[in-house]
Amino acid sequence: MSSGAGYQLQQFIPFSHDVYLRLLERIGETYWPWHLATLLLGVIVLLLALKHKARAGSLLLAPLWLVVGVAFFIRHYAELNWAGSYIGYAFIGEAVLLLCIALSGKGLAKTAPDKRPTVIIGLVLALTGLVGWPFIGLLSGDSWYQAAVFGIYADPTALTTLGLLLIMFRGGLLWLSIIIPLLWLVVSGLTWWVLLNS
Amino acid sequence: MSNRLNRRQSLKLLGAAVTAGLLPSVPLLSWPAFANLPKPDDSGILQKPFDNTGKTLPVIGMGTWRTFNVGSDPKLLDARAQVVKAFFELGGGLIDSSPMYGSAPDVMGYALQKLGQPDSLFSAEKVWSPAGGSAQEQVAELKSRWQVDRFNLVQIHNLTDWREHLAALQQMKAEGKIGHIGITTSHGRRHQELEQIMTAHDIDFIQLTYNITHREVEQRLLPLAQEKGIAVIANRPYDGGSLIKGLQRRNQPLPEWATTECGCRNWADFLLKFIVSHPAITCAIPATTQVVHMQENMAAGHGPMPTAEGRQRMQRYVAAL
Repeated sequence: MSSGAGYQLQQFIPFSHDVYLRLLERIGETYWPWHLATLLLGVIVLLLALKHKARAGSLLLAPLWLVVGVAFFIRHYAELNWAGSYIGYAFIGEAVLLLCIALSGKGLAKTAPDKRPTVIIGLVLALTGLVGWPFIGLLSGDSWYQAAVFGIYADPTALTTLGLLLIMFRGGLLWLSIIIPLLWLVVSGLTWWVLLNS
Repeated sequence: MSNRLNRRQSLKLLGAAVTAGLLPSVPLLSWPAFANLPKPDDSGILQKPFDNTGKTLPVIGMGTWRTFNVGSDPKLLDARAQVVKAFFELGGGLIDSSPMYGSAPDVMGYALQKLGQPDSLFSAEKVWSPAGGSAQEQVAELKSRWQVDRFNLVQIHNLTDWREHLAALQQMKAEGKIGHIGITTSHGRRHQELEQIMTAHDIDFIQLTYNITHREVEQRLLPLAQEKGIAVIANRPYDGGSLIKGLQRRNQPLPEWATTECGCRNWADFLLKFIVSHPAITCAIPATTQVVHMQENMAAGHGPMPTAEGRQRMQRYVAAL
């Protein structure tokens, strides 16, 4: 990436690596022990997805996106980045979309999950987000309550959800519903890239 | 722009030498006759004039981009307040922020509330269209975030909607609601447009990127600022940190001539003295999160400063690395 592009990116990230880590740490301290509940919910949604109960899975997933939109972005992240509120509203929009899909029944997979590539990729992504992500923090010395878990933090929520949607949804609504998680993962990836290289 | 002294500067230097030689009881350089040459204040930090009333600013200011955006974290708020305390104790004046910098204006408010508001504070803010609201509304909100009655300087951030904002700021200045008006750019962008604004409009300050590896502004903008009497704030003096980190990573000792001729004790001195010794530059605004780095930055504002030849030698040295 050219330094010019790097400069452009830096303009959208008005905080430093240390401050972002400290924000994540404070979010962990604030919401502990809800981590355990959201992690359990994530496991339940994954089991529902694998048991071809996509409607119930989507119904449980929706409020978690609302929680992350409000608690992570609007309440905390927006303190550091003026764009945080807008991202929070996008997460709330995703919650509404998941709720609408659950209530209407449209876009849900008609057949039980099999060994199709999208299902296998979805399972790998969901397990990485649910289990792998918190372990990254634990292995680097974070305590249990600092572990970045699904349903509290944006990154594991987006990654796990992306995987779950690949298992549960089909057709146009699948593609529509993965836009926000995918976009956030790109934004977050670029953010970490800039923070670690500046 | 050539780094050789022009006739006007040569005459000033000659005048200073004659004055110093003939009148040993008066200061080495009379003031403000030698308006481009810095003068130390009580703390020893050099000062430069920024308008035609004789008011001066310390040559080292403080930026807040990234470094002061810490949200509501009590631990980090106190840490930044310590940095501000060190800044003022060491003779600092200008602090620059923006609504684009997240919570930085609130953090300044916290620090000023905690430390009190020193007389030397020269508060510099910006209006920035994406923050929403009119220039008047933004300034009012920023005043309450800083907890100050009035900003000494309000700048138009990165030239966004500058026509609309400039008219509003001019009105606010005429009404005495703000002290001075400025316009900013960074990373070498939109210089042509900035030049047109400087030529056609009444601007007190410009802010632009100037450091030892980014010297494009020497060609047109800095001479124009001198000609029009516009004060210049140099942002990104360490090129976002990469310049000083790069020099320190090389583990290269400071060249001896930099110490003997330019008074440099470390790379911070080397980089900052290079910037503020340019006759058109009023002050540089390095940003930091650490008191020890603030002490280094402020020390660079003390004399001696490199001569025009010394500055050329500094450029050649860094270019050769």
